[in-house]
Amino acid sequence: MAIIEVEKKQAEEQQKEPVRVRGLPFFPHFLLREVVVMCLIAGSLLLLASLYPASLLKPADPFTTPTPIYPEWYFLYVFGFLKFWTYDIGPIPAKIIGVTVPMILWYGLLILVPFIDRNPSSDIRKRKIAVAIGIIVLLGLLFFTYYGIVHGE
Amino acid sequence: MTLYDKIYKWLDERFKLRELLPPILKHPAPEYAVSNPLYCLGGTAFLCFLILVITGIFLAMYYKPTPEEAYKSVQNIMTAVPMGSLIRSLHHWAANTMIAAVMLHMIRVYFMGAYKKPRELNWVVGIFLLLTVTTFGFSGYLLPWDQLSFWATKIGTGIAGSIPIIGGYISLILMGGNDIGADTITRFFALHVLILPMAIAILLGMHFLMVRIQGISGRL
Ligand code: HEM
Repeated sequence: MAIIEVEKKQAEEQQKEPVRVRGLPFFPHFLLREVVVMCLIAGSLLLLASLYPASLLKPADPFTTPTPIYPEWYFLYVFGFLKFWTYDIGPIPAKIIGVTVPMILWYGLLILVPFIDRNPSSDIRKRKIAVAIGIIVLLGLLFFTYYGIVHGE
Repeated sequence: MTLYDKIYKWLDERFKLRELLPPILKHPAPEYAVSNPLYCLGGTAFLCFLILVITGIFLAMYYKPTPEEAYKSVQNIMTAVPMGSLIRSLHHWAANTMIAAVMLHMIRVYFMGAYKKPRELNWVVGIFLLLTVTTFGFSGYLLPWDQLSFWATKIGTGIAGSIPIIGGYISLILMGGNDIGADTITRFFALHVLILPMAIAILLGMHFLMVRIQGISGRL
């Protein structure tokens, strides 16, 4: 409890000086809080690790293909899109449009985000287009992840 | 004079602690960032990374990167090595949590517009971090050499190999041959424990330095 009171006093003192940012000094207040949060996360990981140990299936066998095979969950959307896209465009086979093109586009666009979005405002109410695109992209990722799960090989 | 004072004085006379420490220790963490838990996501990813380094070092003491030994050595870690199962499971959970935290961190940066001037390049470094972290996952997945890791890697390298023109070279570089075998496992091991850790250390250094210089962006 003592720590919380010290933090508040600190904040109030700084409020009298409007020029300065209100905040906690990095040491010891901010660091102490960080350490508490870190202990909570480390504790949760320990709990998960002891309740659900990492699995180890049968040894690799290059001659028996198991079914179904899934990639790691964070690659499922790529896998899902590949399964989803079955159309050739002209001479370009579907497999290439299903992976190469979307991956180059996806990472290219991600890197360029700060240079595409020239709107200087960071007020979410004044960034309707960026927010709408963000939500559509997230829904798309969820959809293709789902598609990848349902259509596992 | 307490022992603490003596040590402080000894170091201060040699390293000018009085000048160096206050800007670091008294640097204010802005109130809006302290009170909003969304700002914890980057730190959560970093904590997971530290746990991965420590548990990874212990795993590397028992793991053997050859097709004959890999599976057996992981089985040994899981059943015979003291605390081995806990260490490997922690490594597994910290890895998945790190990737989730990085993704959520990125989503918070996007929706708060925290990548805008002057932070454009930190977003670019962030995308490279995202690539590094997912490649970590991909390379680590093969190492236990069980059915899942073998066949998931088969699909993964197959996809990389289907890229026009350069795909053949990419899969050759990744697999060290025409099929997944002894050369693939040592390559993935080198990637997982040498190349990627160095890459992520450099990228994280740049990332944190930029956050420090530019400060945390303002409220939503
Ligand atoms: C290994 C992965 C990463 C780690 C450990 C990490 C860590 C951090 C930390 C600790 C901060 C301070 C603020 C906060 O925690 O929210 C931060 C800020 C930032 N990160 Fe990351 N990050 C990672 C990946 C990424 C990615 C993938 C992106 C985006 C593509 C990104 C973009 C940014 C930006 C733009 C800031 C400044 C935000 C602001 O000033 O509000 N980071 N990062």
